[in-house]
Amino acid sequence: MKTQGMPAAPPRGWTGWLMALLLAALVVASFVSLDLKWAEFASPGALASMAEFLGGFAPPELGTPFLLKTANGALETLAMSAVGTLLAVAAGLLLAIPGAGRLGLPLRAVVRVLLNVLRSIPELVWASILLIAAGLGPFAGTLALAAHTAGVLGRLFADALENAPLHAEHSLRTNGAPALAAFLYATLPQTLPQMLSYTLYRWENNIRAAAVLGVVGAGGLGQMLKYHLSLFQMPPAATVIIAMLALVALVDAASFATRRWLTN
Amino acid sequence: MLVLNNLSKTYTPGHPVLANLNWEFKAGEFVAIMGESGVGKSTLLNLIAGLDQPDATSTPPIMLDGAAMSALDDDAATRLRRQKMGFIFQAFHVLPHLTLHQNVALPLLLNGMSRHRASEMLDAVGLRGRADDYPHQLSGGQLQRVAIARALVHRPGLVLADEPTGNLDPETAHSILMLLRNEIKASGACTIMVTHSHAAAEMADRTLILTRSGLQVAKTVNPIAQEK
Repeated sequence: MKTQGMPAAPPRGWTGWLMALLLAALVVASFVSLDLKWAEFASPGALASMAEFLGGFAPPELGTPFLLKTANGALETLAMSAVGTLLAVAAGLLLAIPGAGRLGLPLRAVVRVLLNVLRSIPELVWASILLIAAGLGPFAGTLALAAHTAGVLGRLFADALENAPLHAEHSLRTNGAPALAAFLYATLPQTLPQMLSYTLYRWENNIRAAAVLGVVGAGGLGQMLKYHLSLFQMPPAATVIIAMLALVALVDAASFATRRWLTN
Repeated sequence: MLVLNNLSKTYTPGHPVLANLNWEFKAGEFVAIMGESGVGKSTLLNLIAGLDQPDATSTPPIMLDGAAMSALDDDAATRLRRQKMGFIFQAFHVLPHLTLHQNVALPLLLNGMSRHRASEMLDAVGLRGRADDYPHQLSGGQLQRVAIARALVHRPGLVLADEPTGNLDPETAHSILMLLRNEIKASGACTIMVTHSHAAAEMADRTLILTRSGLQVAKTVNPIAQEK
């Protein structure tokens, strides 16, 4: 069928079909190699055990001393994520400038590799490494979040700087502005809303990650959860899980509202 | 004011973009430069601004107020542009995150001068009361008015304009060129405007044609220059 007034559709090549076939083969191979036991998972016995386990969580522990302890853990998790993100923003911005090729192509390549390394190592692995140097507690967790997030934000910031329209900076340079002033007045302000948006999104992620990091002894709600689960104290564990959900929801909402405000 | 002395520019050996240009631009005059696409008009502006280096010659190829431009290093050329030159671009190049007043005040800020004159310049280009507005609230013609105010606010001796009305409709272009002419005549700056538009060139004191063989005075007479 030819739509009136429209140019003819481009011819379809065989590469599209080949890619679809390869993708389908990959999906099938994944299912086969993982040895998934769906029948056992959905068996009446397994479902009953799961229901019994989940039933142990009710009712959550609501005693005032425990609620205060949970609030304190939530604050520690929040602080870890906030400080970790802040450190990552500072490091990410410093790395993004050479990473965007502002100081030459060789340095760009070196910094891009460093950023890849930083973000390829998950927070949990960073925390395990840093626990040795910084000891148990929130400090190691904070540094772990900062290291991984610096890699992510550094890459995103560098891309934002590279993709920013250059005419404003060029105009300032032409008008006799020094290179640093032209960057600070023209390119950085143009990319700042995007950078803030990335930062808020990563902060949301870091709240969740901070909660998980507690499991390896990095403090906060995660550490409380690990403690109570390992002792099969389900009601206090349920309270901690609810606190985690509430914290993530709160930060999600605040971050969403701020990002909307920034982009409108 | 500005002297071109055997000015040449070659990117590919054996194929100079500009070859042996000679001209003397006087203070206070408004000159339009026309020529075919690719003949080197924008290259000429870049060379005059010190944004690009001309071919080496025995005598300085560009002299501005008695100083050899080619002898300046990058920092010195940047300082010279900041103090003595103003620029007007086809695409306005107004900073979107700054107010109109902040945009116009930028050259003053860079030169360490009082920002008071930015308001005067906004008034002069017909944007009184719009100082706190942002560029996205303005039309193309109004943006070019801001660009003219910014180019002249620090009283430069030389204004370089690259197709300043290329993005405007004929009516707006005419009013912008009238404004540009009036403002540069009031400031006494020498202005070199590169343009494809005959209507724009007619607003200058004289028109030069850039060809492969050099700069030549156009045979047509600019009517506005006759009115003087």
